[in-house]
Amino acid sequence: MRAGRRLLNILIGAWLPVLLIYLWWTASAGSTNPYFPPLSEIWTRFQELWVFDQVPIHVVPSLQNFAMGYAIAVVVGVGVGALLGASRSTYRYVEPVVDFARSIPAVATVPVFIAIFGLETSMRVAAIAFGATWPILLATIQGIRSTDATLTDTATVFRLTSTQVLWRVRMPAAMPIIFSGLQLGLQIAFVVTIASEFLGAGFGIGAFTQIATDSFLILDAWTGVILMGLLGYLINIIFDIVERLSLRWYYGQKKLA
Amino acid sequence: MKLLKRIPASLVSAVFALAIWQVVATVGPISDSSIPTATESVKALISLLGDAETWTAIWETLEMAVIGFVIAVVIAIPVGILIGLSGFAFTSTKFTFDFFKVIPPIVIIPITILVLGPSLQMGIFLVVFAIVFALAIQTAYGVRDADPILLDTLSAYRLGVLSRVRYARLPSAAPFIAVGIRISATAALIVAVVAGLIGGAPGLGRALLLTQTGGLVDQTFAIVLLLGIMGVIVSKGITWLQPRIVFWIPQ
Repeated sequence: MRAGRRLLNILIGAWLPVLLIYLWWTASAGSTNPYFPPLSEIWTRFQELWVFDQVPIHVVPSLQNFAMGYAIAVVVGVGVGALLGASRSTYRYVEPVVDFARSIPAVATVPVFIAIFGLETSMRVAAIAFGATWPILLATIQGIRSTDATLTDTATVFRLTSTQVLWRVRMPAAMPIIFSGLQLGLQIAFVVTIASEFLGAGFGIGAFTQIATDSFLILDAWTGVILMGLLGYLINIIFDIVERLSLRWYYGQKKLA
Repeated sequence: MKLLKRIPASLVSAVFALAIWQVVATVGPISDSSIPTATESVKALISLLGDAETWTAIWETLEMAVIGFVIAVVIAIPVGILIGLSGFAFTSTKFTFDFFKVIPPIVIIPITILVLGPSLQMGIFLVVFAIVFALAIQTAYGVRDADPILLDTLSAYRLGVLSRVRYARLPSAAPFIAVGIRISATAALIVAVVAGLIGGAPGLGRALLLTQTGGLVDQTFAIVLLLGIMGVIVSKGITWLQPRIVFWIPQ
């Protein structure tokens, strides 16, 4: 019954995108507007480029930088965040700086990293890691600090050491909040990956699209935009699945309550 | 120790961070790169603030952010309410709106540059694109969250759709909308900057790009500091303003 309901929802959710694509396809069919080429041509070009001819040259390096930068951000954000969340007095002095750093648009820090590292891969990874760290750090601090007092009291009664309390009790309890920071960090990491390529690079999907735009290769530019959009969406979907699997216990609890 | 406690933590924190920056830029492993010291950057920031051009750039960035934000709110809230009122409309649009919601606006910049050029309109368009879908979904969720007992009561008294919207749907949507607006306002500022930096739209983003391509590193750092300060002002300003404007919504 529930499976049937879900299938129905998927079908209902599908008609609008199908209609939109159909409208785009027919409305652009005979288009002579240079900026809006026929969707059929974009689709043909998309297959030529991205299935899978140019993928190793442009998509793989982008995703590598993205993954590396995000991994650093997760380790630093969760690790430092856990320590800061556990110590209230230290956090009082760190909070204003964290608050400030988080308020800088992550993309705007890319020129700063170019100034320090030049147009290297290290610049991209550093910029991605820097931008993605702050939301993860803040969410971890917030999550650790909002642990239910009954939980920590119980742990203390059972004579768990403070390190045990932090990693065994407070961290798991903080996970749902930490995941919200991880998701925001993921989106920032993706945006910075592309921004770092727009602002100067020979390869990478952002660079490809930028060069296509500058050389007025409109079809290529459209395929780049569509590919980036699809990747951005896909990354979010994968994150949702990972979150659902990791936080199964939490969603289960919520359903009971 | 008592004296230390009387100094605000934020001041201690800021001075400490600037001191670390100063040391790293003077002696550390990356002191050979072109990274300016904290004092150079702060000096550059002060001289930028004395420059009329900087204020024009700040104004242009805020203009794109505010106009785009207002357009997005005016579209998203009515659309969100309409979608939220019908289960069919909500399920129909959910996938499409979710799709556009997670696509970062930076992705469509190449096409918007081609069509609209590096202009104020382009920046406004990107701001609208960035927030309108998320805000509409958020509003729709709020509308759907209305108390079913209240809804039943209203229809038992044979009150029409309009009064159900007014007395049940809108009050339940208000806190959702408030959260959405708070997130959207900061996002609007960020996207207005990105539109300048990546797309060449006027304002602080473009100024930042020009300092980078011109090799004026101390000014690059100064503008980034300025953006951080503006970001803090916007987010603190909204937290301060919101309970004063929509005072009936529990924070």
